[in-house]
Amino acid sequence: MENTSQFCLEVADISVKIRSADPTLQFETQGVMKNFLSGELQPDAQASATWSDLSRMSLGEKIFDSGALWQLHRRNGSYLFAFTSSVFGPFPYKVASFDSSFTAGEVYLHHPYFESKSALYPLEYPLDELWMVNLLGQGRGVEIHGCGVVDADGKGHLFVGQSGAGKSTMARLWEPQKGIQILSDDRIVLRQANQKLWMYGTPWHGEAGFSSTARAPLTRIYFLRHAKENKLLPQRPAQAVGQLFTCSFPPFYNPEALDFTLGFFEEVVQAVPCFELRFLQDEKVIELLTGPSNED
Amino acid sequence: MKIKQEEQGKRPYKKPELMQVPLRPEEAVLGNCKMSGGAQGPGQGTCTSPVPCSAVGS
Repeated sequence: MENTSQFCLEVADISVKIRSADPTLQFETQGVMKNFLSGELQPDAQASATWSDLSRMSLGEKIFDSGALWQLHRRNGSYLFAFTSSVFGPFPYKVASFDSSFTAGEVYLHHPYFESKSALYPLEYPLDELWMVNLLGQGRGVEIHGCGVVDADGKGHLFVGQSGAGKSTMARLWEPQKGIQILSDDRIVLRQANQKLWMYGTPWHGEAGFSSTARAPLTRIYFLRHAKENKLLPQRPAQAVGQLFTCSFPPFYNPEALDFTLGFFEEVVQAVPCFELRFLQDEKVIELLTGPSNED
Repeated sequence: MKIKQEEQGKRPYKKPELMQVPLRPEEAVLGNCKMSGGAQGPGQGTCTSPVPCSAVGS
């Protein structure tokens, strides 16, 4: 993409658009994010970006601290994400303000910290993902820490686990299989549409770098465990909900979104078989998952 | 007793179980870019921001 004053991203059938009215603030996207650019004319959410002086910006009441890059504030009914890095200095290098539905916002970039001649990506991680999980939390779906694989029959297999559980390993084990597609090796969005549960690929990939804009019907969920043998253990609904919750990215500061997320997981585990997958890091685990005993 | 309950269509009492699941807050809140070794923000570790970034850990 050449430098531009606006662009639209679409992830999991949710589109967000950002624009700049200032000719000195130009945008660019790189890497797999380019695959998620969209020409959607009526996006689900929009924001504008502007240069600003954030040294004196009033952020309002702090309601959540990520413990790292960002803090969340509330001011006059709006949510403000303030991003700070010690590399730059004491002031936020970026503040993103959204209305309570996250469908309208402003992104303020602290001008002294940026080279104004360089095009930039104003939704730089984690803002793009934060915006998306907040839109999902408004009854649209949930983002999962997982690897999504679509088998040759078009069935979606979701492998769930925290860092180090084996999501990228699982993606690499599936990769040589004929007719399969890997939606992501790190982040999968789950949504309901037309009475079906769908899993969507995202731009936020893991170590193995798998990312896709595609989606597939969610057929099975596996919670990953490294082990000395390959084994599938059915999970009870309560166990499955608990594990899904620990491997999801809900807006923890939003009680309504948390309520929706838990209710959504309850529906997911009632509709989709869930298993603990104990596995060795070799291709035999694929045989276990695709063998005759696993045909639905 | 058990047979009597099942005959009456009631399920036998099962003691509730408490299950603990480990949450990793540092991952769940999307606070860091793990591809840059847990670095926090532009210019840290291998991070080259402010330029586009989409490699965000596993």
